[in-house]
Amino acid sequence: MVIARTALLFLVALLLPATAHAQGKPAHKDAYLYFVWPQDGTVIKGAFWCRFGLRNMGVTHAGDDFENAGHHHLLVDVNSPLDSNEPIPQDKNHLHFGAGQTETRIELPPGKHTLQLVLGDAKHYPFKPPVVSKKITITIK
Amino acid sequence: MPGEIHHIRPGRDGSYPVDGSPRRLAAIVAADISGYSRLMAMDEEGTHARVKRHRRELIDPTIIEHHGRLVKSTGDGFLAMFDSPVEAVRCAIVIQQSMVGRNAALPREQWIQYRIGVNLGDVIVEPDDIYGDGVNIAARLEGIADPGDLFISGGVYEQIKHKLVCGYQSLGDRQVKNITDPVRVYRVLPDPAAVIKARPMPGLALAIILSVSLIAGAAAATATWYFFVWQPKHLAAERSPGQAPGTTTNLATAAAPQTAPASKPETQPSPAPAPPQSAAIPPAQPPQAPVISEPEMVTLPAGTFAMGSNEDPSEKPIHQVKIKSFAIGKYPVTVREWNQCVAAKKCTNKVTGNDDTPVTNVSWNDAQQFTEWLSGVTQKQYRLPTEAEWEYAARGGTQTKYWWGDQPSSGMANCKGCSEPYDATQPMKVGSYKPNPFGLYDMGGGVAQWVADCWHKTYQAAPTDGSSWLDSECSARVIRSGSWKNDLSYVRPSNRDNYDANVRYPTHGFRVARSP
Repeated sequence: MVIARTALLFLVALLLPATAHAQGKPAHKDAYLYFVWPQDGTVIKGAFWCRFGLRNMGVTHAGDDFENAGHHHLLVDVNSPLDSNEPIPQDKNHLHFGAGQTETRIELPPGKHTLQLVLGDAKHYPFKPPVVSKKITITIK
Repeated sequence: MPGEIHHIRPGRDGSYPVDGSPRRLAAIVAADISGYSRLMAMDEEGTHARVKRHRRELIDPTIIEHHGRLVKSTGDGFLAMFDSPVEAVRCAIVIQQSMVGRNAALPREQWIQYRIGVNLGDVIVEPDDIYGDGVNIAARLEGIADPGDLFISGGVYEQIKHKLVCGYQSLGDRQVKNITDPVRVYRVLPDPAAVIKARPMPGLALAIILSVSLIAGAAAATATWYFFVWQPKHLAAERSPGQAPGTTTNLATAAAPQTAPASKPETQPSPAPAPPQSAAIPPAQPPQAPVISEPEMVTLPAGTFAMGSNEDPSEKPIHQVKIKSFAIGKYPVTVREWNQCVAAKKCTNKVTGNDDTPVTNVSWNDAQQFTEWLSGVTQKQYRLPTEAEWEYAARGGTQTKYWWGDQPSSGMANCKGCSEPYDATQPMKVGSYKPNPFGLYDMGGGVAQWVADCWHKTYQAAPTDGSSWLDSECSARVIRSGSWKNDLSYVRPSNRDNYDANVRYPTHGFRVARSP
């Protein structure tokens, strides 16, 4: 099974060098991305640890092209829709966790904020279909 | 107590100081066999026997001959200490050159090659081991050396530079794991002419090496070293594509093009015959041969400026920083410049893009490979700018929100929604927009640019002397400038962000700097 999968990967790698570059990798059909903490509606005082959960897929280092694995991106107060044909942006609202981190300490100004996770592939593209968490709203006191 | 160092077996004599601290200053030699596990996997018994024979016939006697002491040997290496840095380096050279001789008759995959690091440091001496930063640095130097190479620290270099007739190639300041301050690193080339590398003519004037008091076979070993290791790849290197003269500064013209100087012997061009009686070559000596497209540099005056702003918490507090004069790339490093490093096999990241666009999709670690290659090939100490230097350069002497004033203005920067022309898929060619008052292009927008510093969330406790702010370990480094995909707010000279140092992202590039 492992050999078959490796062979398949190898074959895919041979056949699709160009397309793998520009497009997201296929997501696992049961992939589930979610916040372990905080949960939707949580009211928090000060800085907090944000923990990322992922089921049926694995977390790896950005750049590693393993099947069924990606790395986390945390979108803070992002309202624009995700463009799945572009790499996930890199700016102060799109935090990258390319070293394979599954948690981060965040400090946000008081008020309501939205958080959402997006899984990116080796080249930071969203998977196809995109593996995204529910967008949650938290309040910082 | 000079007597103690003659003992090859540790702990036998107990002559290390007993009265109080067992500390002493020593030259530490750390060595290991590159690819030991591979060799063992290939032929366990044979490799073990060969390593033991080398130890018995070469390493142990050579250490004794140079008045050193074997502190301990590990499966694949050893640790030795010497009273004299000169003797330590001589010993290391003898070992390296003798190994070349021993390998010469064997197929490549069976070569046993040592990597050796030498450092001078104050260490704690115990009967069976030695401890301290001085030992760790030697081990780290060994770790970054290439197979067959000998790396020494700046401290050792200062002690031996006028005493040992060798070539010394400066590799600049290196950050080594778990050591706070960067360590200056030199690569020792047993033949001074190897630094110059002008003509592909294996050395005849090897007599010079005899001044290093070698055993008789060393000259032959060196000749075989050149012949087997350096020469064949030199021919390949001459054909490498990255050497087309670029649009920017050409360093020099010379009869023979040459490639990276850098650290692996196999990509090394053949050395010229040694100039008779040539002395140690100082790292600052201008190179004679390389024809590469070197980034165009602008030298900035020393000055003091207010770093930071109140626009974002990460940019606070505003603090005065004093900057020494330094040179910085007029443009970000281009794809053309980058590809020379790839062609020289010193940069592992094969990038795409037009020659005159900034290189993108490079990690901080990738950028280090480039500055190391460039430093080696030019014999100048290229590095990334510090964060303070970058902001000083980006401000161009101004204290406004943008370098051109406080108001948005079109045609100034390559950013999203800033100006036409704009291509969402790639940055514009370097120099497409106006330069800042220092004559620097693309300091804001275009590609985001790595700087040397570790990421710190604010400037609380930041250095004020323009140096890079480093921690012993940092996974995230600072990026500046914003990219063509970011909006105008990222173009502000004080804007700062961070990213994982070993992760590539399509909008990240860099520019180089060096102290004048």
